[in-house]
Amino acid sequence: MTAKSGEGRRVDVVVIGGDVNGLVAAHYLARAGRRVVVVQERREIASEWETGWVPPQIIRELGLATPRLRIEAPDPWITAPLSGGGGLALSRDVAKSAEAIKRVSPADAAKWPEFCARMHRLAGVLEALYLQPAPDVESRDVGELIRLGRLGMRVRRLGKQTVIDLLRILPMSIAELLDDWFESDALKGVLGALGVWHLKQGPRSGGTAFNFLHHHVGSAVGVFRPPRSNVREVLEGLPGVEVVQGDPPPARVVVSSADPKTAFEPYQAQLDPEFMRAVHNIKARNCVVRGSLGGTPPGAPQCVAPSLDYLERAYDDAKYGRPSANPYVETFGNEIHVQYAATVDSGLESRVAAALGVPAYQVRLQTPNGHLYHGELTLDQILFMRPVPGWSRYRTPVPELYLCGAGTHPGGGIPGAAGRNAAKVILKET
Amino acid sequence: MPKLDFAPDHGQLRSHVSLRTTPFHPRTGPLSEGQAWRRWAGYVVASSYELSHDREYHAIRNSAALFDVSPLYKYLVTGRDARRLLDHVVTRNVAKAKVGQVLYTPWCDNEGKQIDDGTISVLDEQTFRMTSADPTLRWLHLNSSGLDVQIQDVSDTTAALSLQGPSSREILQLAAERDLSALKYFRLTSAKIRGIPVTISRTGYTGDLGYEVWVDASRAVELWDALIETGTPYGITPAGMLALDVARIEAGLLLIEVDYFSSRHALIEAQKSSPLELGLAWTVATDKERYNGQAALEAERARGPAWRFTGLTVDWDSLELLYATVGLPPRLPTQAWRTSVPVYADGRGGRQVGYATSGGWSPLLKQYLALVHLESQFAKPGTELLMEITVEHRRKAAHARVTPLPFFNPERKRGGA
Amino acid sequence: MKQYDAIIIGGGHNGLVTAAYLARAGKSVLVLERRPRVGGAAVTEEIFPGFKFSMFSYVVSLLRPEIIRDLDLPRHGLHILPLESTVTPMENGNYLAAWADHDETRRELYRHSPRDAEAYDEYGHLMHFMARAVKPILSMVPPDPTSFAPGDLAGLLKLGKHFRGLGAERLHALVKLMTMSSADFLDEWFETDVLKATKSASGIIGTFLGPRSPGTAYVLLHHYMGELDGVFRAWGFAKGGTGAVSEAIASAARGFGAEIRCDAGVSKVMVKSGRAIGVALENGDELRASTIVSSLDPRRTFLQLLEKGDLPDDLIGDIRRFKFRGSSGKVNLALSGLPKFACMPDGGPGGRLHRGAVSISPSLDYVERAYDDAKYGEFSRRPYMDIVFPSMIDPGMAPPGKHVMSIFVQYAPYNQNGGWTDAKREAFGDAVVNTVESFAPGFKSLILHRQVITPLDIEKITGLSEGNIFAGELALHQLFFLRPAPGWAKFTTPVRGFYQAGSGTHPGGGIMGASGRLAAMTILKNGR
Repeated sequence: MTAKSGEGRRVDVVVIGGDVNGLVAAHYLARAGRRVVVVQERREIASEWETGWVPPQIIRELGLATPRLRIEAPDPWITAPLSGGGGLALSRDVAKSAEAIKRVSPADAAKWPEFCARMHRLAGVLEALYLQPAPDVESRDVGELIRLGRLGMRVRRLGKQTVIDLLRILPMSIAELLDDWFESDALKGVLGALGVWHLKQGPRSGGTAFNFLHHHVGSAVGVFRPPRSNVREVLEGLPGVEVVQGDPPPARVVVSSADPKTAFEPYQAQLDPEFMRAVHNIKARNCVVRGSLGGTPPGAPQCVAPSLDYLERAYDDAKYGRPSANPYVETFGNEIHVQYAATVDSGLESRVAAALGVPAYQVRLQTPNGHLYHGELTLDQILFMRPVPGWSRYRTPVPELYLCGAGTHPGGGIPGAAGRNAAKVILKET
Repeated sequence: MPKLDFAPDHGQLRSHVSLRTTPFHPRTGPLSEGQAWRRWAGYVVASSYELSHDREYHAIRNSAALFDVSPLYKYLVTGRDARRLLDHVVTRNVAKAKVGQVLYTPWCDNEGKQIDDGTISVLDEQTFRMTSADPTLRWLHLNSSGLDVQIQDVSDTTAALSLQGPSSREILQLAAERDLSALKYFRLTSAKIRGIPVTISRTGYTGDLGYEVWVDASRAVELWDALIETGTPYGITPAGMLALDVARIEAGLLLIEVDYFSSRHALIEAQKSSPLELGLAWTVATDKERYNGQAALEAERARGPAWRFTGLTVDWDSLELLYATVGLPPRLPTQAWRTSVPVYADGRGGRQVGYATSGGWSPLLKQYLALVHLESQFAKPGTELLMEITVEHRRKAAHARVTPLPFFNPERKRGGA
Repeated sequence: MKQYDAIIIGGGHNGLVTAAYLARAGKSVLVLERRPRVGGAAVTEEIFPGFKFSMFSYVVSLLRPEIIRDLDLPRHGLHILPLESTVTPMENGNYLAAWADHDETRRELYRHSPRDAEAYDEYGHLMHFMARAVKPILSMVPPDPTSFAPGDLAGLLKLGKHFRGLGAERLHALVKLMTMSSADFLDEWFETDVLKATKSASGIIGTFLGPRSPGTAYVLLHHYMGELDGVFRAWGFAKGGTGAVSEAIASAARGFGAEIRCDAGVSKVMVKSGRAIGVALENGDELRASTIVSSLDPRRTFLQLLEKGDLPDDLIGDIRRFKFRGSSGKVNLALSGLPKFACMPDGGPGGRLHRGAVSISPSLDYVERAYDDAKYGEFSRRPYMDIVFPSMIDPGMAPPGKHVMSIFVQYAPYNQNGGWTDAKREAFGDAVVNTVESFAPGFKSLILHRQVITPLDIEKITGLSEGNIFAGELALHQLFFLRPAPGWAKFTTPVRGFYQAGSGTHPGGGIMGASGRLAAMTILKNGR
């Protein structure tokens, strides 16, 4: 690696990528006394908000809880227009949501509190898994085996019902899960949307129940949308690490928060072709377009996914390589999330505008630069299978290279968790 | 990736399945007296043309034997990074290879276990022909990501004949109307034989003076006719796989699926071998850029391989004695065998220290030979061992001595005219 | 009244296997079959004079070899003949063929993609390993992961050990197989669409999923299971149709002393203080036995044969949630001659095409679209079909010179919009026949007789709930210790002395007999 900007200096660690995971990793390493330089790439101006739950450990340990930190948790957390007029508004208060649901289905309203409690308990299991490196099921190491055993016992202590739920629900489709509980199309549409969030799968695809739970991790009981925060901005203002642009200085350890395909590209000549095949096989199929909404932003987040069939049909188009004729659209402030579309085609903005009931000129969409999560959160790409099977512990076949991005465990939608886990591994190993 | 269409079949062989025949089949077909064919890479080739392969074998060592080796997999690797790709794949140093050179080389997986072996011909700075025993297109592609290289499967469009034996040079010189004495061992040259453009490499699978002639499949029959016509006064003899098998054992040359398993086809770890264990340490370069399996091979070289591949010569007196006890003279198989045979340490209750994977009677050396895998400590030349032998339905052990390979290595193989 | 050691409800192949094993162990056994003949979904019937059909199940893929050996089935007439090839006609007039000969198949694949031809071997190699890894699980009674009983903990530990023993590469492949869609899994290996379509089609059989639905990759393994058992080919026909398999097992069971009674539908299992004591027949008769085994599907086993009060509520809930969703139909045709497929009018070298399967799966999108129709409640307008000509393998299936054609069709949803009617059934039959016609012009003129079977028909005739041919979907959340319900995957039920043995229990699926055998083993062990 040639150094220009960093000529003449030596640092311990170079972190490539100034996103939340990169910055979190850098700060943890710096706090442990390593000389760290973060190489920032040109920032995508997709959003000022970082979507997803920032583990409180990170906020505490890095001292991010300053007045600058804003975590947006709107109430109601979602509103959805109803076909017969009016809307379904789900609040942070479980009882209040139940009241709202009662208007579309009293039966569903009755089940709502239990559903919320069950899902929260299951998400809690994932939360425990996410704040440490993925369990290494192949390990022969006694310590790791003990950790695995503890994890197993911990899960089993949650009770028979939780264990059964976990085993049954994780491989399920969100549609099957919701059909087990509810009858209201509107409610199932709103919840089902979280099951396919950033996933090129429809609500009837297996594994979408897991995706649903993944995005519930860290949320309050009865809230099924991840929060948003300006954590990146706060991290950028945090002293302790140097951020440079351009070529990095030489370092003993390189940590990359880039997606694995990009991260390994410079090294492919020295890597096992079978490993590179696994890297190329990472599924990261773009299916979300994001953008902004002009005019006064709506007060509460909006969701246009009136039923599971609506979502499924939106996905059907994507299956055959087309953007959805009737896309699933969601707003948060003046931000728009559109699924399924890989690029912005000519009619997409007007279709989104129609779905939201606003004039077309107010919708501005942007073709994304790669998959936001660096790899879809499907069951074959999580835990010890992420980013590629056998290399889930942030280290790579390149001795000096570590990964810390969304492509690694626990994946996208939990900003900073991978960075924190990676930093801990790096501190132990280097 | 070009979608290749199959070249039309060269004459049909009646068979339950539609196997392919090689471009030489219009000539080799009628020659086959016993219709004894065997499969090779999806083609059929002659086991022997005559009912017995004896005469064909002796032609290899006495005059010149002509083999149809068209079923070999052949790839043309071209482009700016062609050399880099091949250097990255195989264990020999391709970076240093000169135009006109042919390299025999194995290639390995990331764990340093052998996938296959074959040759790389440097046709020009950016053009290489690779031959292999197993299909290798996918492996080359997997290794070529990010490289500026084209890989073309020319297995069907390139035909090849192997002319082996003491008279092979004279025949080829006459046919090509040029002096080949300057063509050194494992070098190649382009030439014309009766106007047919060919590449001639001084290579082969017999351990003798010999050449392989590479030709466009469309001119294959003409080439055959030209060589037969020119060679007849010199005793040229079409020969099949049975004769070749005897010669390659004498020459100590490995055969995939017989003497070793490709690491990609091995069912268990123990079936895999490294080139260091297969007597191919000389092909594992120490002065080259990173290649597949390098780290593992360097580590293995440093600690010494657990196994060695070498020769074993069965003691004739011991053999005679074993047969004499049942009242018979020694009876040996007429063809080379390819079954696994246990080899034991010498002495009473000697434990098994290895196994032979090929063997047979050498009509030339008048010796019973075997190619063996031995635990390293037993592989020193001259070590006395026992090899299992079945005498009148009963298992016995014959004395045998570790012999370095090749068993037969005539001066003419490498020598000048 | 005679007191039996065991009464088996349902004379399908699993019930018969259980009966045979129990009788072999010296138990007095009675099998009660509702229909006039044994076999359940594995029956051969002469629907038209001279033409015999394997009515529902039509290929024998996975019948456990240990069952064939233990019960000495060849002596009872079982002869499984290999299915030699698969030809997939493509919409552009080309085709993809997999022949019995490896070299030939390689060459055929090479025609489509040289790289795929190589990948195919490596893929086969991996799948061979994976099949080996999964096989022990198929013949294992699933431990209960929620239980703290020493037996279950030991079972879990054994399972954990087994998986860890596979080695990293294979463990990862197993996780992928269990969780991925067959299309995604195959994408990692191949580039030829028609190859992926044909392979993935085998992953959707009997499920209500499409080739792009996660969870379908696992069934790809089934193709490789058979090879491990030293069987020549993974797929085969039973001489005399699949009914001959049932007949052979029944004959073996009788040979061991079992009694088999047909036209004897069971209406209830009689339970007294939490213990099964006998069964009540539909005709009002009552029969007694200390062990009652149901080989019916879980819904009928738990919700129909028992009273609500016999079962805990959460089990009832679990069984209600158990997914059946029959998705396939069958069209059986009597033909005056063999159809000519446009892609291979001469039937291939030696006319081999008709001796193997013809798969109507010309592209992934084609199969996926077939699924899309069903997803929204309609039968596929252009369905995926697996076609075989049993009379080409066993000439006894049709009059000389004439043929029978068996068409397995997917998708035909049980919950067809508006419900299945006679008119809908015929419309479905027309869709099937017209689609075949598009690949084999002139085929329709050969049809002498046509029988169309919808999932509703399957349910009505065989009793299989929602017409699901596997007695419950083979989905990841309905396998192993979740089949049919968590806590009740070990062939026992909350009613003492009452066991389950059908395809709705682990491992389930196809004419395999493993469930029946494992159930018998469990009963014998518990009875000791």
